Amino acid sequence: MSARERVVLDAAPSLGALYAKAAGSRLRALLPGGQAAGGTLPEIEHRLEALVADPARLVDYQRLMGDTVRDTLPSVFVHGMVFPVAMSVMVREDFPLPLLGMVHLSNRVNHLRPIPASATLSATAWAANLREHRAGTQLDLVVEVSEGGEPVWRGVSTYLARGIWPGSRPGAPSEARAPFTIPARTASWKLAADTGRTYAAVLGDYNPIHLSAASAKALGMKRAIAHGMYLAGRALAGAAPQDAGYDWEIEFATPVFLPSTVDVGYEDRGDHMVFSGWGARSGKPHFSGSITTHPDGPASRA
Amino acid sequence: MSDQTQAIRPAVIIGGNRIPFARSNGAYSKASNQDMLTAALDGLIARFGLQGQRLGAVSAGAVLKHSKDFNLVRESVLGTSLSARTPAYDVQMACATGMEAIGSLANKIKLGQIDSGIGGGVDTTSDAPIAVSEGLRAVLMDLSRARTTGAKLKAVSRFRPRDLAPNAPGTGEPRTGLSMGDHQAITTKAWNISRTAQDELALASHKNLAAAYERNFFDDLITPFAGVSKDTNMRADSSLEKLATLKPAFGKNLGAEATMTAGNSTPLTDGASVVLLGSEDYAREHDLPMLANFVDFEAAAVDFVHGAEGLLMAPTYAVARILERNNLSLQDFDFYEIHEAFAGTVLATLAAWEDAEFCKNKLGLDAPLGAIDRSRLNVNGSSLAAGHPFAATGGRIVASLAKMLHEKGSGRGLISVCAAGGQGVVAILEAR
Repeated sequence: MSARERVVLDAAPSLGALYAKAAGSRLRALLPGGQAAGGTLPEIEHRLEALVADPARLVDYQRLMGDTVRDTLPSVFVHGMVFPVAMSVMVREDFPLPLLGMVHLSNRVNHLRPIPASATLSATAWAANLREHRAGTQLDLVVEVSEGGEPVWRGVSTYLARGIWPGSRPGAPSEARAPFTIPARTASWKLAADTGRTYAAVLGDYNPIHLSAASAKALGMKRAIAHGMYLAGRALAGAAPQDAGYDWEIEFATPVFLPSTVDVGYEDRGDHMVFSGWGARSGKPHFSGSITTHPDGPASRA
Repeated sequence: MSDQTQAIRPAVIIGGNRIPFARSNGAYSKASNQDMLTAALDGLIARFGLQGQRLGAVSAGAVLKHSKDFNLVRESVLGTSLSARTPAYDVQMACATGMEAIGSLANKIKLGQIDSGIGGGVDTTSDAPIAVSEGLRAVLMDLSRARTTGAKLKAVSRFRPRDLAPNAPGTGEPRTGLSMGDHQAITTKAWNISRTAQDELALASHKNLAAAYERNFFDDLITPFAGVSKDTNMRADSSLEKLATLKPAFGKNLGAEATMTAGNSTPLTDGASVVLLGSEDYAREHDLPMLANFVDFEAAAVDFVHGAEGLLMAPTYAVARILERNNLSLQDFDFYEIHEAFAGTVLATLAAWEDAEFCKNKLGLDAPLGAIDRSRLNVNGSSLAAGHPFAATGGRIVASLAKMLHEKGSGRGLISVCAAGGQGVVAILEAR
């Protein structure tokens, strides 16, 4: 067991209330002396038990992603179910960074085995690895999900608080990014202006940067951007195995401003599948990732 | 069931009939699938004196269907002078619908289950099945399930003005969101197929089709419909210069490297085609011609969703398998009918068969299938000139090839038809 102090939540926190709280912290942070940058992460974990998927919501999710309606939980849907627990950690008074405006950098998930839609799940979330990034401070939000005590899902989401450094701002510029070469296109997603609102309606993530141009502008974005997890969900739909455990990861490069057409390339590399998405017009990389089916699972589709 | 193995008997192609193919939203704008399929059947029945006959089966299909067309082929048969006791059923395998319908019918004849049958297909993109949006559909379905006023109001309250936008069928692949042309553009580029090579193939298609009309090749293969007597897409006066002026229509993301235009891609087309098949005994008893044997057919599919293969490359795999099964080489044919979904599809298919690496790694062959004699390819034109009403293409090709083989009096023909969903059907015909 970890040395973290455990806080057991008695109900799933509402994301709306969490965002309102986050907005409050953001305002406070703007007041003189209110900036909570630096510091350390709270040695604490939040736990929620008896979490069960809403069947109607699951169908809505599967339809939204173009996935088949099945009686197992898609990996990104599990992320959506447990996201309020993770967020409740980030809006704590002793959390050192402002939640709103935080940039989602990447996700790594171990989907350990197929999870039945009717499963009763517990989720434990904590923050870890507060560290420097060339553009600010990054940290990991870890969530472990179990069914009847057996771990079934583990996700690490990495976030960046831009322009806030744990110590003094680093002087030297970090290494240049590798130039992006557009891979072979195998799909194209036309994302409507309401993509963020539709996703929010299904998974409850009403972060204002995803909802409308106006709400996004209030947080410094030029237009609304697609949820990272929406992109991950689309990428996994039809590519993730249904009958085995698997690991997947996604890394976000530049935001997908809505509306937008995202060109996508999948490549089957034998023991794993890689995918990436880029702007159909801009040619800028949006995301890249991979899916690796656990070796004891069925053979690859080829 | 008896465990006695039945002898396989030949399935014979007796003849075919189609209506001229017409460019979308043109001459056949007001014609339904049922109208066009019935017209094609009427012409075939008249040509071969099938009035009042009970055939073994009529098997056909359409790719784009209205929900009211659930029994399209049976309804069409009921509108003809065939015996009302002729069973009929719908088949759907995207652009390979006609080939699958005809091939399966041939199998039933070979097994002795039926003695005669008509196979074919029809499609219209002009009389397309426009549906209500998913949002409105969900509201309407919930409304019809609602028992109480409260539940009805709740269902109606979910209606949004944007739900008024109708849902039209497209040629996009559901799993990738890319149009068929954009998929082919990936393959065309991967095989380095030049713009000129594609335009040359398109031009040859128009010239060959026009020449076939000129020598009255289609006189016993086509019946006029709605005032049309020739395929309306045909441009006998086309030229490489004219084709070269067209701007890219697909793969525009490739910029200057885009090569696929409206000229070297098939247009959306309306039309119908049918083919009469029977056993040798059936043909003799009814004093009907025997043009060719339907020897064999094979389907294949590829994983285009995850980029393992091009969307329209499945026939390359099917051909490798059908050749092996029939102990033939790719060069053992007098005619090659490769459906011209796009000029790039035909050229990439030919290039793949010549490519040692592709044949070894993808087809699992020791040696490449090799080149074909290009003067035997689509000699009476193909889809680039005639058009491609999805399900009707198989019947057009089978009837034309059977006639070509019969005219020659010997030899074999190979058919290759690619289809949406990464599928394809190929077939072998033999002259009689």
